[in-house]
Amino acid sequence: MRALVSPADQLLRGVGLFDPDALLERSVWLLPLLILAFSPIYGAFMGSYNFVRPDRVLQIVYSAAKMPILLFGTAAVCLPAFFVLNTVLGLRNDLREALHAILAGQAGLSIALASLSPFTRFIYFSSADYRLAQLFNASMFTLATVAGQILMIRYYRVLFRRNRNHRIAFCAWLILYVFVGIQMGWVLRPFIGAPSVAVTFFRAEPFTNAYIVIFNLIFPE
Amino acid sequence: MLSWLKQLDDLLRGRKTAPEQIPSSDFPLPLGVFVPLAILLSGTYGFFMGWYALFAHDSPGYLQLLACMLKLPALFLLTLVVTLPSLYVFNAIIGCRLTFVAMLRLLVGAIVVNVAVAASLGPILAFFTVSTTSYPFMIVLNVVLLTIAGFFGLAFLLQTLRRLAVSRTLQSMDAPEEKKTPDDSAQHKPGAVDRVLFDNAPRVAGDAKLIFHIWIIIYGLVGAQMGWLLRPFVGSPDLPFQWFRPRQGNFFLAVVDSLASLLGRGGSPAG
Repeated sequence: MRALVSPADQLLRGVGLFDPDALLERSVWLLPLLILAFSPIYGAFMGSYNFVRPDRVLQIVYSAAKMPILLFGTAAVCLPAFFVLNTVLGLRNDLREALHAILAGQAGLSIALASLSPFTRFIYFSSADYRLAQLFNASMFTLATVAGQILMIRYYRVLFRRNRNHRIAFCAWLILYVFVGIQMGWVLRPFIGAPSVAVTFFRAEPFTNAYIVIFNLIFPE
Repeated sequence: MLSWLKQLDDLLRGRKTAPEQIPSSDFPLPLGVFVPLAILLSGTYGFFMGWYALFAHDSPGYLQLLACMLKLPALFLLTLVVTLPSLYVFNAIIGCRLTFVAMLRLLVGAIVVNVAVAASLGPILAFFTVSTTSYPFMIVLNVVLLTIAGFFGLAFLLQTLRRLAVSRTLQSMDAPEEKKTPDDSAQHKPGAVDRVLFDNAPRVAGDAKLIFHIWIIIYGLVGAQMGWLLRPFVGSPDLPFQWFRPRQGNFFLAVVDSLASLLGRGGSPAG
């Protein structure tokens, strides 16, 4: 763990190993490790809602395990489209750097989430309201996504200068990732664990579509 | 197979239609490679599209999956067959100097770009298909994804026509001017849908745009209606499997209906 704190710090500052202007080859392999190390931290805190009985420990373990699945799974679904998009836009020669930027964004998101986890625990202490817990977690994810984007853009800025088309690729990745990520999060439920429902890795009910659920929440029948 | 992938990669990277390649007045796009590629790639998208029949129906609809894999290539290629003669005639009238074969190659290339992007969106489609039961949502998602893919196919077409027009003009100019172009493109390495900038672009771009707009209108209208004739693609969970539906209505009305039922909750329940 300690071996990863120093790279995490350098990533956040954009210096040393992760200097956007002088990217080191070996730093690429550190980024997935950072995601694997930091994203479960927030997952564990998120799953600690309603941590009153010993069997609820499982929810913590499950939520922690599901966080890297959420991040890597979403990226895996979006990558083929990103690859072809970069190819037709004439950006294939920069693909390595683009992927590096994406990974840096994911790692930044994970670290930001980990740093926000005390807030989540604090809210859980303050209120047992499940809806508040859902809402608060959603806002923490939004905040961390913004942090991740700031990091990603730092690496993309070099590419923007090289070719304007990178802006299209960047925006496309953002739209695809959020669009798929929301649904991925919904499919991988429960992360928080409703108090009335037994602890499970996946919900027993069949998969549903997040966007239709959200639509029905806003416009109830 | 590997050489096919190489050819596909070259096409997508824009090497097949690089500005310095074009003056030969034909495209290095062998039909024997790119027609099968178009079939394979559109079949791939059809495969992911057909997943809905596997997961949302009561019993897995393998026939629907097979139908999807056959219908998607049919959609693209039959539309091409229907529109090619009139496209050729219109272009000849306007004064586009592409030969029939060169034009066929160019259009097949555009279709390949289109379906390659569509196939790359396949995993996203598959992921949503597995986790969605709502039929209207899947219809709208398919339309959106295919529209995105279609946009790239069109961008390829437009940019290639521009390069063609521009390189013609450059050919008729003196040598130093011509020398400048390869240097320029070596720096930028334009992709398949990239805009290549030339000093004299505005004038020649006009011709390319006119041809392009004619193509879009003809191909788009026929394509949309062809898609409508070949229904069902996704396969409504409420209806039994059928290869084709009775002829009725048209495409644009149906998209509006689908949107309305998604927003107005006329479709299947979200749960």
